[in-house]
Amino acid sequence: MANAISVNNLSFSYGDNLAVDNISFDVGEGEVLGFLGPNGAGKSTTVKMLTGQLTPSTGTAVLLGMDIVKQRKQVQSQIGISFENTNLYEQMSAIENLDLFAKLYKVPNFNATDLLQKVGLGGREKEPVSGYSKGMKQRLMLARALVSNPKILFLDEPTDGLDPVSSQTIQALIQEAVKNGTTIFLTTHDMVEADKLSNRVAFINQGQIVALDKPSALKQQYGQRALKVEIELANGETEVREVNLDDGQTAQNVFELFKNEKIITVHSEEATLEDIFIEITGRGLQG
Amino acid sequence: MIGTLVLKDLKLFFRNQFFAVITGLTLVMFTAIYFLIPNEVNNSLGLAFYIENPDVTVFDELITEEAEADNLQLFDSEEAMLAALEESGDLLVGLTITEAAALASMNGEPAEFQAYYAPGIPAEAKEMFADTLELIANATNPTVASNLKRMNQTEIVLGNDILGTPISFRERFLPMLLLFIMTVEVLGLATLIAREIESGTARALVTSPLRLHHFFTSKALMGMGLAFGQVLLIVLVTGTITTSPILLLTTLLLGTLLIVGLGFFVAAISPDATSVTAWGAFVLIFMTIPAITVMLPGLASGWMEIVPSFYFVDALHQILNFNAGWADVGQNLLLLFVTSVGLLGIGTAVLRRRF
Repeated sequence: MANAISVNNLSFSYGDNLAVDNISFDVGEGEVLGFLGPNGAGKSTTVKMLTGQLTPSTGTAVLLGMDIVKQRKQVQSQIGISFENTNLYEQMSAIENLDLFAKLYKVPNFNATDLLQKVGLGGREKEPVSGYSKGMKQRLMLARALVSNPKILFLDEPTDGLDPVSSQTIQALIQEAVKNGTTIFLTTHDMVEADKLSNRVAFINQGQIVALDKPSALKQQYGQRALKVEIELANGETEVREVNLDDGQTAQNVFELFKNEKIITVHSEEATLEDIFIEITGRGLQG
Repeated sequence: MIGTLVLKDLKLFFRNQFFAVITGLTLVMFTAIYFLIPNEVNNSLGLAFYIENPDVTVFDELITEEAEADNLQLFDSEEAMLAALEESGDLLVGLTITEAAALASMNGEPAEFQAYYAPGIPAEAKEMFADTLELIANATNPTVASNLKRMNQTEIVLGNDILGTPISFRERFLPMLLLFIMTVEVLGLATLIAREIESGTARALVTSPLRLHHFFTSKALMGMGLAFGQVLLIVLVTGTITTSPILLLTTLLLGTLLIVGLGFFVAAISPDATSVTAWGAFVLIFMTIPAITVMLPGLASGWMEIVPSFYFVDALHQILNFNAGWADVGQNLLLLFVTSVGLLGIGTAVLRRRF
């Protein structure tokens, strides 16, 4: 798999504050990379450098074989960006918003109605965006990012603050884009979403990438598999006991439990990405 | 790309009810004011006199002769003169000549005259009246009068002789009207840019294939188009387009360049739309000051020449009211162009830092 994004020793400072500290990674074509980290970790600064909004202090970023600093506009014509904060023309309709960007990207025979139908905004495409809910605006942002059928899609917190239905719609659209071969750079602090959508995840903390691998591999490396068994005590109260699945005595422990206790429920449990992030960095993703 | 952005901006401008209404209202209101302002000039200085004892003075003879000209009126009592002075808009100065003052004047002695002025009379008119009174008082003294020498005067008027066709207040108002209408667009343009930056739409644009200079060019064209469109409408409606049309339109076009430079600068220093309003109001007032020197020449002051709009409004005044040609206003236009380009450069450079 060829690389859609290659980052080498990329750094950026806001004055004396080193926001991104010498990071390197690759993203393959058609891959979804989840870029996870708490607020202020350097996620947005990285995205800004990769999309040509900021010039790196040091290092290089090559997207689709082009250097983002030297060939910024060529790169920007082949990527789509869904920003964290809604930045739509609120006094214009959804169709007008999409048509404007289709003209800027010089997309031939662009049909805004079809795309809006796909993101679930059919029927309201002629209304001013100012009347849309947050979820609708977010879907329109994604539609705008898809206008030029980009080879790389940068999604910055695409489902932040959305209801479950809107989140699912957006996740389905991302999965459809992946099927069509689009590379996705997903910035989020929602570990469930990252786990669900990403082929690999990168943890960024204080400007440095502290881990980068498949979610399953990270869980295997850092997490602990366990069984959670809920039992009923003699006095009628319940208690949860944990059985480690990796300590070599699992069978014996499970047997003893089932033999001596009244079992109510049994669940298998594995570490979440947030657990792993905390284990690696000592801080949570929300912080 | 630039055309696409300009069309989008036009759409947004007219969907912003505040600016659409302000623009429309400004146009209608100022055009109405223009036509309501009188186009005639009344330069007469109405004088009122009360003479205590007409038998002991030759003042009444002088006054009676002049009274036929309608701007001198003789009253029978001081009370009647004062009442007329307060109520009539035509009379500006009143003078009481007591018997003692008349005698003293005729005998060449110091005399006391009481003058009354209507409210709002200009200082220059007061000075002129005092000088005239002194001349008349001396002329009533036979000794002084016999020593007065005749003076021969040759008149040479530099530039256009507008004697007999003085400039009306309406004509003086027009350059200010044009400047004001254009300056309002500083607010419109700056708001448009500031909102794009504040809402993040500018970021979405410049991360597309669109280049930053496309963005600036489209905004400059938008600002120039809006300002120029309106002033063009005004010169068409007022019929002044016929006065040196190419020179007039060139001046207006250069003025719109100044407006764009100011709009960029205001947008660059304003973090949000509210700040644009504050800075825009300041610019509006500051830029309008030179226009006052055209409307009220007595207030002209040298420092106003540092205000860039001075060169615009002065050029307009000369073109519209004195039929000035390219050679007459060339220096003004050059300075206007240099200042506008300079402001545009500074505005663009500062604005670029916000991306």
